[in-house]
Amino acid sequence: MKTYMRRYGTLYLLLILPIIFFLLFRYTPMAYILMAFKKNNIIKPPWQVAWAKNNGFEWFIKAFKDQLFLRALGNTIKLNLLDLVCGFPAPIIMALLLNELAFKRFKKVTQTILYLPHFLSWIIISGLALRLLADNDGLVNILYKQMKGDPNAVLPFLSKTNWWTASYIALGIWKEAGWGTIIYLAALTGISPELYEAAAVDGAGRFRRMWHVTLPGLRPTIIVLLIMRLGSILGSEFDRPLALSNKLVTNASTVISIYVYQKGIQGGQYSLTTAVGLFQSIVGVLFLFGANSLAKRFGERGIM
Amino acid sequence: MKRILALMLALAMVLTMGLVSAFAEDELVDGKFAETRHITVELFKRGDNDPTVTPFAEYIKNGMLEKHNVEVEFVIVGRWSEPDDLNNLLAAGNAADVSYTYSYPTILNYADMDGMTDLAPYLEKYKEYLPNMWNLLGDLNIYYDQDPENGTLWAVETKLQNNARINTFIRKDWLDKLGLALPTTTEEFEKCLIAFRDNAELLLGDDAARMIPYSTSYDIGWRNNNLVVSFVPDALSDEEYYIHGYDDRQMTLPGAKEGVRLLNKWYNEGLVWKDFALYGSGDTTEDDNLKAGFVGAFQHNYDYPYRNGDDSIDANLKRNVGPDAAFVAVDCFQNDAGAYRKFLGSTVDRKICFPATNDEILASLLYVDFISDPETILFLQTGKEGVNHERGEDGAYIMKTLDPTDPYYFNSLNNIDYTMTCNGLYLGEYTDASFAYSYTGVDSELTINALAVAMNDGRVPPHFNLPAIESEVTVGSTLTQERDTFLNQAVTAPVEDFDRVYDEGLANYMSIGGQEIMDERIEKLEAATGYVHQAD
Repeated sequence: MKTYMRRYGTLYLLLILPIIFFLLFRYTPMAYILMAFKKNNIIKPPWQVAWAKNNGFEWFIKAFKDQLFLRALGNTIKLNLLDLVCGFPAPIIMALLLNELAFKRFKKVTQTILYLPHFLSWIIISGLALRLLADNDGLVNILYKQMKGDPNAVLPFLSKTNWWTASYIALGIWKEAGWGTIIYLAALTGISPELYEAAAVDGAGRFRRMWHVTLPGLRPTIIVLLIMRLGSILGSEFDRPLALSNKLVTNASTVISIYVYQKGIQGGQYSLTTAVGLFQSIVGVLFLFGANSLAKRFGERGIM
Repeated sequence: MKRILALMLALAMVLTMGLVSAFAEDELVDGKFAETRHITVELFKRGDNDPTVTPFAEYIKNGMLEKHNVEVEFVIVGRWSEPDDLNNLLAAGNAADVSYTYSYPTILNYADMDGMTDLAPYLEKYKEYLPNMWNLLGDLNIYYDQDPENGTLWAVETKLQNNARINTFIRKDWLDKLGLALPTTTEEFEKCLIAFRDNAELLLGDDAARMIPYSTSYDIGWRNNNLVVSFVPDALSDEEYYIHGYDDRQMTLPGAKEGVRLLNKWYNEGLVWKDFALYGSGDTTEDDNLKAGFVGAFQHNYDYPYRNGDDSIDANLKRNVGPDAAFVAVDCFQNDAGAYRKFLGSTVDRKICFPATNDEILASLLYVDFISDPETILFLQTGKEGVNHERGEDGAYIMKTLDPTDPYYFNSLNNIDYTMTCNGLYLGEYTDASFAYSYTGVDSELTINALAVAMNDGRVPPHFNLPAIESEVTVGSTLTQERDTFLNQAVTAPVEDFDRVYDEGLANYMSIGGQEIMDERIEKLEAATGYVHQAD
C-alpha cells in the first residue's frame, strides 16, 4: 500500500481539482432542489422558506394537474422517441456506407461535408428552414406551386403539426447524423482486417461482410450510445424546438424545457419548475439504470 | 435618586441624538443630500446603440448630481426581452433601485416573496420633496395599484400622455390607381382587399406573385383589433369590460369570435398574408414586405408606418415605390351602434417599482421626481436646438432627421426610454403643435390624420380599485402564448372547421387559467362594488 501511494500519490493529488469542481458546481447547487418542496421564493435561500402545501408536494401535484405540463411531457416523449427511432440508426448506416468507400480522398471530402451542419446553430437552421419551407415564400413551395400550376397548392412543412414533427425530426438528422458517425468510424478502425480477409476467403460478399463483421464490431459502441440516449429520454433540447416552433404548432412543439422556461424564467414560478426538473432527472436516472441492466442481461458490458 | 436621574437624562440624550441622526440621514438641504448618494436606475435598450453613454444619459446624471447630489448608474434591460430580463435581475438580487416594467404580475410575484418595497409609507413621508412627480402623475396614477384592503403599494403607474392604440392603414396610391375611394365600412374595406388581389399585375407588375392584400402577424388580437372589436356590442358595460379585461387584446369579449371568423374567411379567400403565423416577435419579414410595397392594408399601432425617421415604413415605401406611395389611416369598422369604436389604452403606462434591495428610497424617489420635471422632459423629448430640432413660427418643435450614428440620435420615439414616467409628448402649450413634427420626414397631414382617426369614438378601459388578482401572477405567462396559438389556428383553419377550432381553442384557453382569472375578477369586483355578474 505504502509503495503504491508513493508511486501513484501525485496522480491522486491531480484528481483533487476535478473533485472540488464537481463538489462546488455540481453537488452544492443540488441543495436548491429543496425549492421543489418549499413555497415559491427565489429571494431567500430555500432552507429559510416555509414548506409547500400537501407535505411539500404541492408543486408536483400542481404540475400533474396542469394540462400544459402533461402536454409538454407527452410532446417530449413523442419527439424523443421519434428521434431515437429515426435518428439513432442514421449515423450507424452512414458510418457503414462511409466505411465501404474505396476512394480515400472522396471519403474524406464526404465526411467533412457531413460534419459541417453540426456547427450551425439551430437559430441559423430555423432561418434556413423558413426560407426554404415556408408556405408562401419558401423556395420549395414556390417551385411546388409552379409545378402544380396552382397558386394555392402548398406543402405545409412548418404549419401543420404532423408535417412540422416530420420536418423537426428530419432537420435533426440532417444536422447531427454526420457528426454522429465519428465515434462509429473510430470504433471501425479497431476491427481487425484479418476478420474481413477470413470472411472474404469464406466467400462472403460486401453485404455479408458488413453484416457479419462490421456490425458486430460496432455493437458495444452502439449499446453504450443507446444507454446514454435512453437516459435522456425525458430530457429535452431547448434551442431546437424553440427556434423551429411557430404559433401554429405550439401544441406539438412545447416540450418540457420550454414549459420550464415559460413558467419559470418568464412567469417566476421557480418552485413549480424545480419540481418539474427534479421529476425529469429522476425519470432519466431510472431509464439509465433500466437500460444498463437490460444491456447486461443481453451479455453486454454496459456503462456501470 | 440623583444617580437614577442622571442616568435617565443621559439615556434621553442618547435617544434624542439617535433620533436626530436617524432623521439627519434623510435630511435634504436645498433638495441636496449632504453626502453623495449612489443609486442604480433601469434603462431600456433597443437597437445597437448603448443608451448609457448618450448626451441624454449624461444630462440625467449631471442633473441628479447637481440638484440632489445623487450619483446615477444605469442598468440596461432589453426592451423586447423586458419582463424576462427584469425577472432574472430580481431573482439574482441585482435589479436596479429604480426598476420599471410593463408587467405588473412580475412586480406582484416578487412582492409575494417579500422582494419589493411597499411605497405607500415613503410616499406619504416624502411627498413634500416630490412636487414634479405628483404634478405629472397625479393621485390616480400614483395610487392606481394600491390594495384597498391593506393599503400596500408595490408600484407607481407612469403616465401615458396619448392613449391612441390601433389604426387601420391602406395604400392610398393603390386606391387611386384603381379608382376606389377610401373605405368607410367593413364591406367597402373588403372590396378594396379583393380589388388589390385581383389587380396584382397592375399594381405590382413582375412582383404580382408577392401581392399581400392584407397583412397581419401571429399577434392576431393586436394586429386586427379595430376589426375584431367592431363586433363587440356597444352596450358592453364597464364592469363586463373589466371582467374580460385581463387580456388587453379583448379576445374573450362577446362578439370577438365573429371578427376572427371574418378574418378566417379573408384568409381562405387569399386576402391575408399566408405566412403570417410562421414568424415570431421581433422578426422583420413583415416590415420588409410593407417597405417593399407588397402590402395593401394592415392594422397596427396608430403611428406605425411613420416611426423611425429615415428607416420608417413610409420613407422606405417612398424610396422603393415612388413619392405618391403612402399608407393612410382609415376608419371603416362600425359596431352595432354605428360607431367606429376603438378600444384605447388607459392613462397608465410602465410601472415603477423599488426592489427590496433598494436602500436609498429617498434618493430613488428624487430620481422619479427629477425625471418628471417638465424641464427634464422637454430636453429629453426635443433634444438640443439646432441639432435635434428647430423652432417653428408657432413655437412648435420641428424634429430633424439624424443619422443613427449621431450621438444625439433618439433610440426611441420621443426618447421614451429615458422619460421613464412619461410616454408621449409633454411639452406644455407646444405639445399639439409639435406632434405632427415629431415624426421626422413624414408628411404632417398623415400623422395628424392618424391620431384623429385612432382617437375617434375611442373607449377608455375602466379602472376599479380592487385587491391584486393573484391568479394573474401564476398563469399569466403561458396564457398569452396559448391565446396566440388558438387564434392563429382558427384564422388558418378551413372555413368549415372554423367553429370547431375556435371553440376548442377558447375552451382550452379558459381551462388553463383564463376562467380562473375571470372568476377571481368577478369575485373581487362583486365584493367591492356590489355589481352582479350575469353568466352568459
